[in-house]
Amino acid sequence: MTPSLPSSGSPGVGAASPVPRGEALSSDRPPRREDPPDPSPLTLLDFYPPQDPRWTRIAPFFQALKDGRLTTTRCSRDGSLHWPPAVACPKCHREELVWVDLPRDGSLYAFSEVRGGAPLGMEGGVPFVVGLVELTGAPFRLFSRIVGRAYAGLTLGEPVRFETFPVRDGRVFYRFRVVDTPASP
Amino acid sequence: MMDGPRRRVAMVGGGITPFGVRAATFPELIQEAGARGFGSLPNLAPEEVDSLFVGAAQPERLAFQSHVAPLVAELLGITPTRVIQRTELACASGQSALRSAYAAIASGLSDVAVVLGAEKMNLPDMAEANTSMADVLDRPWDGVHGATAPPFFAMVAQRHMHEYGTTEDQLAAVSEKNHRFANRNPTAQFQGKVFSREKLRGLPVVAPPLRLGDCSSMTDGAAMAVLVEGSRARELTDTPAWLVGTAQCSTFHNLAHAGPLSSWEGLRTAGKELYRSAGLGPGDVQLAELHDCFTISEIVEYEELGFCRKGEGGRFVEEGQSDLGGAVTVNPRGGLLGCGHPLGATGVAQAVEILDQLQGTAPSGRQVPGATVALQHNLSGSANVHSLLLWRREN
Repeated sequence: MTPSLPSSGSPGVGAASPVPRGEALSSDRPPRREDPPDPSPLTLLDFYPPQDPRWTRIAPFFQALKDGRLTTTRCSRDGSLHWPPAVACPKCHREELVWVDLPRDGSLYAFSEVRGGAPLGMEGGVPFVVGLVELTGAPFRLFSRIVGRAYAGLTLGEPVRFETFPVRDGRVFYRFRVVDTPASP
Repeated sequence: MMDGPRRRVAMVGGGITPFGVRAATFPELIQEAGARGFGSLPNLAPEEVDSLFVGAAQPERLAFQSHVAPLVAELLGITPTRVIQRTELACASGQSALRSAYAAIASGLSDVAVVLGAEKMNLPDMAEANTSMADVLDRPWDGVHGATAPPFFAMVAQRHMHEYGTTEDQLAAVSEKNHRFANRNPTAQFQGKVFSREKLRGLPVVAPPLRLGDCSSMTDGAAMAVLVEGSRARELTDTPAWLVGTAQCSTFHNLAHAGPLSSWEGLRTAGKELYRSAGLGPGDVQLAELHDCFTISEIVEYEELGFCRKGEGGRFVEEGQSDLGGAVTVNPRGGLLGCGHPLGATGVAQAVEILDQLQGTAPSGRQVPGATVALQHNLSGSANVHSLLLWRREN
């Protein structure tokens, strides 16, 4: 059974705040001068467009991304939360799954910076930061690009927040942005 | 390994091509390894070989060639009648071929098996080769962010430093040792260069905190080993290396499930099973060929294999405990850091080194005196799979 479409009422481990539909998906503010340049043109190393329901059964994940939400599947039998989204539960192998929202906030568990040796289409984007994000309340971490601050200014435990950004061919993907914390008084 | 009746398996010979950025194609590297492998066994005729196991990680992408096992058979002039196959397990493809040969011989399916590992990694467009490294990770979810191995192992180093106080100088100590051994290995990629810790700590950063000297390289090379059923061993060599234990463990794939990066539970699990299967312990091992794809890898491996306590791997190398004369000599071949890392060839080359060491024929400055028990480890991908072999010389 194909996982059902995301339902806004489905309980997740964290509630997604609504993000308006639209073309400007990348963030709720324009890029700032100190932001590292986006890798462009970003390739997803795909040989076909897997965000399209003609090619994948987890198209609802990408549709939710376009709505500004980070989702995954949960097994309605054993309750386990999956990453990446699945079409059958890796634990009990049942196919009755529901889409749920993941937390948008987390912290940097580990990070580094790619300075060279990047794959095709990303060579011009170096250096860029990648890291493992400890999602608040989720049973796993997500590996992702980290934007908003250069490597040298980052520390372990840094708060980060999920965001989406447009990819060529009208697709969309996710990354995490360092949360600006006001200086202590 | 499973307990129960099975036949004994021995390695009797082998050979290694020069590793490096080679002016040679994938088939040419295979032929070189065949010449050296058969050259080491004057009493073995190619027609006696009943099985072939080929370790190659990505010939489809790197050499645009699939179905490589019959290619190797033809290049080596052998006509397998029992088993012919290729194994792919990324960086552990070579050891995977050795384990498959072991299983075939132990079960009675094969009597004489050739194991050949090869990889051609240096291409005119290295971004193309780097793309093949990104797909070793979970490509649509992890590799897609642009990461290959260096940033992952950099995160391992970051967490190990954070939790245990491991230092950049201790990372450099691994590289200094392995490059020093490589300088005495004519098949190593890096020759004639002295890498002091001070010099290593001045090299460019690849993925912080890892510098160039902390990373193994993209390498072309091939290696061949011959494994036989026990009763055949003495016909072919006076000093076989007996395969007395093996284990493997896979714990995750997507990095979401990697757990604490500074501890490798899968290696700890496989290590315990390896020692149990052979009735030996870490204190019995005199030399170890460990998978030092990055300096931090070797440090974590000391700990998980029981050569030192958890968190003390940095101090272990700093104090010379993994050097000649220490508790266990690690990577006297020069390691992946010094020899380079042609994915499919690495595991087979480690085994051939172990045969030389157990036969006492390694060059001075690298020979581990009186070595009788040798451990071989390969990790693959993001250290999500660990593969182990234990080899022993009989006196």
